[in-house]
Amino acid sequence: MAQASSINKSRVQHHFMNAEQQFSSSKLGMWLFLFTEIMFFGGLFVAYIIYRSWNPELFTMAATQLDTMLGAVNTVVLIGSSLTIALAIRSAQLNDTKKIFYYLLSTIALATVFLVIKYFEYTAKFDVGILPGAMYTFEGIDHPKANIFFSIYYMMTGLHGLHVLIGIGLMLWLLVRVKAGDYSSEYYTPVEMTGLYWHIVDIIWIFLFPLMYLID
Amino acid sequence: MSGHHIIPLKVLLNTTIALLALTIVTVGVFYLDIPAPFDVVVAIILASSKATIVAMFFMGLYYDDKFNTIVLIFSLIFLLVFVGITLLDTLFRDSTMAIW
Amino acid sequence: MEQASLNAKKLKVRYFDIDENPSEHYLNAEKGLKSWLLTVDHKRIGLMYLASVILFFFVGGVLAVVLRTELFTPTENLMNADTYNRIFTLHGAIMVFLFIIPSIPAALGNFLLPMMLGAKDVAFPRLNLASFYIYSVGAIFALISLAVNPIDTGWTFYTPYSIQTGSAVILITLGVFIMGFSSILTGMNFIVTIHKLRAPGLTWGKLPLFIWAMYATSIIQVLATPVLAITLGLLIMERFLGIGIFDPALGGDPVLYQHFFWFYSHPAVYIMIVPAFGVISEVISTFSRKTIFGYWAIAMSSLAIAFIGSLVWGHHMFVSGQSELSTVVFSFLTFFVGIPTGIKIFNWLATMYKGSIDMKTPMLYAMIFLFLFTIGGVTGIMLGAISVNVHLHDTYYVVAHFHYVMMGGTVMAFLAGIHFWWPKMTGKMYSEFWGRIAAVIIFIGFNVTFLPQFIMGSQGMPRRYFNYIEQFQSMHQLSTIGSYLLGIGFLIIGAYLLHSLFRGEKASSNPFGSRTLDWMTSSPPAHHNFNYTPVVYNGPYDFHKPIADFTIGIAGSDEHHGHGETVKADKAEA
Repeated sequence: MAQASSINKSRVQHHFMNAEQQFSSSKLGMWLFLFTEIMFFGGLFVAYIIYRSWNPELFTMAATQLDTMLGAVNTVVLIGSSLTIALAIRSAQLNDTKKIFYYLLSTIALATVFLVIKYFEYTAKFDVGILPGAMYTFEGIDHPKANIFFSIYYMMTGLHGLHVLIGIGLMLWLLVRVKAGDYSSEYYTPVEMTGLYWHIVDIIWIFLFPLMYLID
Repeated sequence: MSGHHIIPLKVLLNTTIALLALTIVTVGVFYLDIPAPFDVVVAIILASSKATIVAMFFMGLYYDDKFNTIVLIFSLIFLLVFVGITLLDTLFRDSTMAIW
Repeated sequence: MEQASLNAKKLKVRYFDIDENPSEHYLNAEKGLKSWLLTVDHKRIGLMYLASVILFFFVGGVLAVVLRTELFTPTENLMNADTYNRIFTLHGAIMVFLFIIPSIPAALGNFLLPMMLGAKDVAFPRLNLASFYIYSVGAIFALISLAVNPIDTGWTFYTPYSIQTGSAVILITLGVFIMGFSSILTGMNFIVTIHKLRAPGLTWGKLPLFIWAMYATSIIQVLATPVLAITLGLLIMERFLGIGIFDPALGGDPVLYQHFFWFYSHPAVYIMIVPAFGVISEVISTFSRKTIFGYWAIAMSSLAIAFIGSLVWGHHMFVSGQSELSTVVFSFLTFFVGIPTGIKIFNWLATMYKGSIDMKTPMLYAMIFLFLFTIGGVTGIMLGAISVNVHLHDTYYVVAHFHYVMMGGTVMAFLAGIHFWWPKMTGKMYSEFWGRIAAVIIFIGFNVTFLPQFIMGSQGMPRRYFNYIEQFQSMHQLSTIGSYLLGIGFLIIGAYLLHSLFRGEKASSNPFGSRTLDWMTSSPPAHHNFNYTPVVYNGPYDFHKPIADFTIGIAGSDEHHGHGETVKADKAEA
């Protein structure tokens, strides 16, 4: 690798033929990772579906405790962040380093807004005693398994929130590397992979929103 | 097959508009009070179409190596298997099968 | 797509020089502890996995012998019931999560997969190293839990007991949770490598069957392991927060835990056995000197097993209170697994038919595999029938069944593989004489240990009990003696393999005359496997061509190599 001449070539690891092969390998690897993410959240969706099929009335009652407005706002926020990161990738392809930086920065800002809203939602519930499982003390829902609904709610949104947090971390790291001039239209694999990750986080929320907030 | 397709700006913006529109529809449907099993069906259909739009245009599957799409479809099939077979237990736990 | 279009006339060709033995190879290319700990070379990572799984096999084996010793008499003679519960839990957890799951895929798979594909490494070498360290961290968690307060739940961690018993459950489930990620990363790496890094000319139809088996295994790993992760994640949350999803005391459903657990753990059984099928295909074809019979049937049956194996998890739960409907469906689906497995067995037998069979040690283990695994498989089909299952559930019959499959199947194939590729990995030959003796001892020891357990089980001896009624004493004593015999067999293997490392004869590059790409490199292989890009035009089992006529194409030296090596084309043709 030492004698490799162009920047592009130095990005190709020794066991790949060319940059194209390396890029498509990374992308397939990322898709397989997203596959595992789907199965990972899938387990929780299965728990959700089974408890909902057992207690449809519980889910209708419990969903009234969730703030539809805040859920909808967060949906819009995440869709916006999906757009900005797609634009960041586009800027990388067009070799516009400055714009990559700003688009990534706005994605981080939107992700933070999402988490702040989530924080207010959570604390409002903690205050009235809506806590997961054994710690549940809220008396507003007349159903013996109300605690289970909120366990599922906290597990699903909590795991999703954790993914948002990880996404913010990844994008902060990307910012540092963008500043260092590591990415160009020749090589932007990490930006693209983070983008794919971020979109799957968005997609999971797209399902969580109607399944949690919009039950009537 | 090229993974380096630059998605036109117009496509990205239209995708966003479509997603926002579908979000409004999702919330709107909620206030329509569709009767019991169908409200979930409608919600899932709307969410799935949103997810498909994100996967096709934001994630670039539309332009990408088709094998990546196959990977995604496979994961959904296995998820359905997981849900479907588990429901065979949980939905029918109280019923006994007289014919056996 | 990335494969260069071949012009056969201009292609340089390299005859396969069978005595070639390099002075520089991957083992001495870099020196020092750091070169091992920070290596991204798939061969070294494979060896590190190999060392770890052998270590854990030893620990798990010692625990097994201790258990059998306790069972020598009907009453307490070595330990009390609580200790017994902890030891069998540890035996199970160590053997399943730390030994069998990474044994063939991570150890042999890492070593062989890129070489069989003619690649220089797996697609993501650093991720590969990371997955080894993730495995190590998981193993450390499991070992800490062993030191702190061994758990007594069995390796399945069923709720609600796992929520109530000692606190070490958190540690060991965390360990298994972490190891799951290692398994996922390895699987991802292999799938991408098989798709993207095949050498020019190596079409899907020319892949060695070991690769097909690894492909099927990797799919299961990527598919099922995340569900184990979320299950154990929820179990850990159950312990920390009391979320109640699996806890009946809080309104949850413990049977749901079993669904979640077996959705991973049944396919995991195929993570353990499918790579073994791959090894057996290679060994049988090589030592029968015959093209494998039914290439596509064997390749596709691996994928079929991966798929059908994902639909049958509920046959572990016939008496757990799941609905009758699902019991019937699961039982029905279970029988289907027998079809692809049967296809494999018959194709292997057909491969041997009229072949010139050479009963070297690896082939001996392959024979043992065929014998023991078939018994294990057929008893599995019996257990899949509901009425038989209800009678035999949680008896020694089940214990014997899965030992015939896991040990008689996977471990025998693992031994076959280790012996088969030992010259390739180390460059040394082991003692053929002692190899055969150990194989015979292990075969006898195995059957003496586990055949009586089938009989005991069918007579009603329940599993997981530390004492028993006197009626079963003779059977238990026979079983215990067999386990000592097994132990002796494994010690012999350890001794002569170690001996061969230091005193062994130098191995030639292809001592068994195999035809796959991994044998087309030197023994031990060069630092980057091949000093050129190989072009494949022979099939992996072209035994009809004499080895002297066997050639491999060379597609120019690789400029990314950076070692200034030139192509060593011995006999270049115009």
